[in-house]
Amino acid sequence: MFARRTTRKTLATLHSQLIPAYASIPLYMSALISLRGIRKSFGTSEVLHGINLDVYPGSHTVIFGPSGSGKSTVLRSMNLLEEPTEGSVIFEGVEYGPGFPGAATARGKKIELRRQVGMVFQQFNLFPHLSAIDNIALSVHAVTGKSKDEALERAAQELKNVGLLKWAMNYPAQLSGGQQQRVAIARALSLDPKLMLFDEPTSALDPELVGEVLAVMRQFAETGMTMVVVTHEMGFAKEIGDQCIFMDQGYIADSGGADFFDTCTNKRTKEFIGSVL
Amino acid sequence: MEDTPRLNFMWHLVWDFRAELLRGLLTAFEVAITALILSLFVGLLFALMKMSRFAIWRGIASTYINIFRGIPALVSVVWVYFGWSLLFGYNFTVYQAGVIALTLLYSSFFAEIFRSALEAVHKGQREAGQALGMSRLRIFRSVVMPQALKIAIPNIGSMYIGMIKDTSTFTVIGLAELVFVMQSINAEYFQPFVLFTAAAGLYVAAAFLVDFVFRIVEGGFSYPKVGRVKRFLTRRKRAQIQRLVDAN
Ligand SMILES: Nc1ncnc2c1ncn2[C@@H]1O[C@H](COP(=O)(O)OP(=O)(O)OP(=O)(O)O)[C@@H](O)[C@H]1O
Ligand SMILES: [Mg+2]
Repeated sequence: MFARRTTRKTLATLHSQLIPAYASIPLYMSALISLRGIRKSFGTSEVLHGINLDVYPGSHTVIFGPSGSGKSTVLRSMNLLEEPTEGSVIFEGVEYGPGFPGAATARGKKIELRRQVGMVFQQFNLFPHLSAIDNIALSVHAVTGKSKDEALERAAQELKNVGLLKWAMNYPAQLSGGQQQRVAIARALSLDPKLMLFDEPTSALDPELVGEVLAVMRQFAETGMTMVVVTHEMGFAKEIGDQCIFMDQGYIADSGGADFFDTCTNKRTKEFIGSVL
Repeated sequence: MEDTPRLNFMWHLVWDFRAELLRGLLTAFEVAITALILSLFVGLLFALMKMSRFAIWRGIASTYINIFRGIPALVSVVWVYFGWSLLFGYNFTVYQAGVIALTLLYSSFFAEIFRSALEAVHKGQREAGQALGMSRLRIFRSVVMPQALKIAIPNIGSMYIGMIKDTSTFTVIGLAELVFVMQSINAEYFQPFVLFTAAAGLYVAAAFLVDFVFRIVEGGFSYPKVGRVKRFLTRRKRAQIQRLVDAN
């Protein structure tokens, strides 16, 4: 018992020394999802050069950085929408992805990982041939196997949570961008994901619609939902982020905790934050 | 000048033989619709093969498409009807031979139509399905296919009109379609101008009818739903959702 605690403490110390960002995160928790040595190449060019990242339950990770730095690719490798060339995604102790050459371990199925991870896209990606409520109900019915009636009931609840119940029968083309994105969030949440991924959820929106989507995200962040958000909304990032990741040229160039935006010292990071704010 | 033959158009023939002519047209419709249903399935299969990750499947599909896209209907039906019985000793009925010939030809067109329609569905749609954890079959069935069908339907309609017209060549194997009926009436009365004008009129009328029907079908696949038919068909679902909205 005692020996065990010592080990843990040693590990904890090591951990926070290696990656200072985690110093503020309670160390008795094990990560919900970890990326280990994620490399990704498109053709001959490598765009991620070995990414390591831990996301703890209930935490809000924000990822920012210049265009083309690999933010989306990191996010998309978390649910294996982008299959890494090398490396592992460890979700609740189960290892997914290609792993490392020579190290053969049992691997989880992609679809099982995806059923526990929700994702919201920049372009919403609602199904245009289905009404708002059917977008959600189809997902619930197809993924959880609930009956169509039960799925519709669940969908109605989710729409209510994002304040769009009145619009249930509208098709995506009949909704504003902000409303579409809120339906997309509701659709992802209807499957009770343990982790939510957001890839620039407000970048495709007119400025006056950004607020309503951020409000919904804030609301779910406050309920303790584990979130990873790629965003250029620095105000929002500062507000909800308790792990902040700055990406540059396929590396995690800098990272920190909740106070990252005020305390970071890296010149490149400061420059970038300055240019966006 | 006295020798100028007096044109004697026996237009009444069209009315007199209306039952036979309509039956001929109906036969054309029937052969074409049976072939349509079959070639939609075969075409979809080849479209999927052509989009396969495996080169062998793609190769087989391309070969099939390129061969049958190039064969005229007349050649195809003669080959199926006479060639098959020569080679394999099995005789198809004229109806079967017509359906098979059309299916072989048009499935290759449908393969191309489906492939381009499936590729036209935005890739974010598949990704959304994957991210939600849907199975591949579910994504295909409930997400991609409905959107692809909507894109493909106008083209399927024009192909169907082509299929009806191509049945006219099946006269050579003795299928009692419209042109076959015309020719037998012509043999008796020798009124080619009248009879073939009537045939042209009937084919055009058929094309208008097909166009009309496909427009309705297209309406059913469009979104937001348009048309009374669709509203009528979805009224129970809408009432159910309305109850949910009111209850919450
Ligand atoms: N499917 C692809 N094929 C080829 N290259 C790709 C593909 N997807 C991304 N890339 C490349 O990978 C690099 C990282 O892309 P990624 O989309 O992850 O950047 P990002 O940080 O999200 O940028 P942005 O802010 O513009 O969204 C870029 O250089 C991009 O060109
Ligand atoms: Mg991106």
